Amino acid sequence: MVKMSLDPVQVVSAQVNELKVGPSSNGDSRGPWEDKQEFNSQECLNNTKPKSVTGRRARKVEGAVFFPRPEHAVTIAVSTRVLFRTEKEQKVFEQQGIEEYLRYQIEHENEPFAPGPAFPFVKALETVNARLRDLYPQSEELFDIVLVTYNHAHVGVRLINTINHHNLFIERFCMTGGGSPIGYLKAWHTNLYLSADADKVREALAEGIAAATMFMPEKQTVVSESQLRVAFDGDAVLFSDESERIFKAHGLDKFFEHEKDNEDTLLDHGPLKGFLEALGKLQKKFYAKGHRLDCPIRTFLVTARSAASSGIRALKTLRAWGLEIDEALFLAGAPKGPMLEKIRPHIYFDDQMFHVEGAAEMGTIAAHVPYGVAQYNSSKKNQRWANKLT
Amino acid sequence: MGDTVVNTDVKQVGSENALVIAVSHGAVFGAEDEDVHGVAFPLLQAVQKVNERLQQLKSSDSEPVQLEVVLICTNRAQQQQRDQVQTRTRAQGLQIHKFSFSCEDDFTDSLLENKVHLFLTTNSDEATQAANKGVLSAVLDPESACGPSEKLRIMFCGDAISDPGAESMSGSRQAKQVFWSHLGKIRQKFGVEDSPLTLVLLSSHGGIDGCCSALRSLRTAGLNVDEAYCLGGSPRKLIMSVLRPHFLLGAPEE
Repeated sequence: MVKMSLDPVQVVSAQVNELKVGPSSNGDSRGPWEDKQEFNSQECLNNTKPKSVTGRRARKVEGAVFFPRPEHAVTIAVSTRVLFRTEKEQKVFEQQGIEEYLRYQIEHENEPFAPGPAFPFVKALETVNARLRDLYPQSEELFDIVLVTYNHAHVGVRLINTINHHNLFIERFCMTGGGSPIGYLKAWHTNLYLSADADKVREALAEGIAAATMFMPEKQTVVSESQLRVAFDGDAVLFSDESERIFKAHGLDKFFEHEKDNEDTLLDHGPLKGFLEALGKLQKKFYAKGHRLDCPIRTFLVTARSAASSGIRALKTLRAWGLEIDEALFLAGAPKGPMLEKIRPHIYFDDQMFHVEGAAEMGTIAAHVPYGVAQYNSSKKNQRWANKLT
Repeated sequence: MGDTVVNTDVKQVGSENALVIAVSHGAVFGAEDEDVHGVAFPLLQAVQKVNERLQQLKSSDSEPVQLEVVLICTNRAQQQQRDQVQTRTRAQGLQIHKFSFSCEDDFTDSLLENKVHLFLTTNSDEATQAANKGVLSAVLDPESACGPSEKLRIMFCGDAISDPGAESMSGSRQAKQVFWSHLGKIRQKFGVEDSPLTLVLLSSHGGIDGCCSALRSLRTAGLNVDEAYCLGGSPRKLIMSVLRPHFLLGAPEE
């Protein structure tokens, strides 16, 4: 005779557990499932039973989270002009107007766009996601890539065809038909916004969203396919532009003096500090599972500060913030181009167009953060370059 | 048995040239009649803007069209005080082409008689009744009916479009196609920019392929949307206040 428990309480709780836990739970840390606030069964079903995708796209993520919730994920918003190459279409728009531009796009709907400057970066994010899903199948702490464009929806089919063609894991997008994307960036808790349009980027920065303008490098560089490599300038990117102001106003000697006097005072934070922090959080998840040496995320600081003097303040600040950066390169004013060529980051953030130009000339994928006092440098060379590349 | 009163203050539209939108009294003035401006008020103002622009195009337009507005009154008090209803709408500056007075049970007859293409109400029972008679309908609630008064923003739910198996709670398939086709034609009368009418596609669940198929279905029916959003499962309410539609067609409750 089979002994059956008739305890109704037990039966009910078993059913509840089934709802919460996905099919391949292996006792790993359940992360945010335990402490989420807005749990409702509808969302839960969406998250634990993703539709399996058949056909060309090999994107099955059985038992893992496919649509992470925005407040848990690291959301990266990219525009179409940085994810793909759209120079030809841009020309049609500029020379023949919007109606002709849309007609052209629809006519070429089945021709996928070629990869743009942000493409390798997005691919690298997906590589990290694959590793995170292996280690933490139930976690929503993943990169979530969202396409945010002010293109009209007429271009939608071509964009979706292109995403499928390149086998990208993008399931969220906004085509605002000309309207500002800022509202959507905020609604999706965007951690980083990449665009070709400096005005949109400035608008985002003003709203406290990390953002940068991307440029196509002059020559193709091979970047890693197994490790996401992100490089940052220090002042006015990770840190505030306070020191740069002193340098500009009073020169190098005054800058050194100021840094020495304030060695133990933390620098204020810059627009990309939050993004470095988000990367650090994900890195720690790999370390926790014994993957410190082969961590698929690596971060770099590439600064004109010098190690022995002004660099100390930068390091102390990072340490006080609890942020680890894997490699710090103090160039003491030496050109950044050759260093970056060795590092080969998927993206390099700098607030000065001069450095962004130099990096792009040598094949580094560089992004300009239009923040701080360096923006009031109206050199003709910078303007010409900016016009050429946007 | 209800009846329909033509509003002589407003120039009437021939039925072959009209996209007929019926709105419940409760949606315009509130359920208890307490609101000066109910949730559908900005919608009617935006409809008026569209009509004004359509009028401007009339001379060069081979197929002139207007949005015809019918106010559906099912409340006994409204029946008895018809003049008051008309006076009130006039005082608020609303352009109502026709007033329909009927009971709760037979207002759907009035919808069919008036060849209504779309019925909007805050009462989900009313919407279901209309849908059961094949009339395309949508429920207005403050979250999804938050559009501005200067431009008409109509939102389509992509999940319902791309999934033909989805239970159609909002009306017959044919009614949908007719509405899309009419609306698509109206949208085409204006250019890409500076249009008083904006069409928006929203896909909540499902991925980009579902959205792609919805875009194609709408296009086949003659409707090109201006904006498209694919949420990939993140809750709608996150961006509704940014999207600001006047109403949402075909979306299940969330």
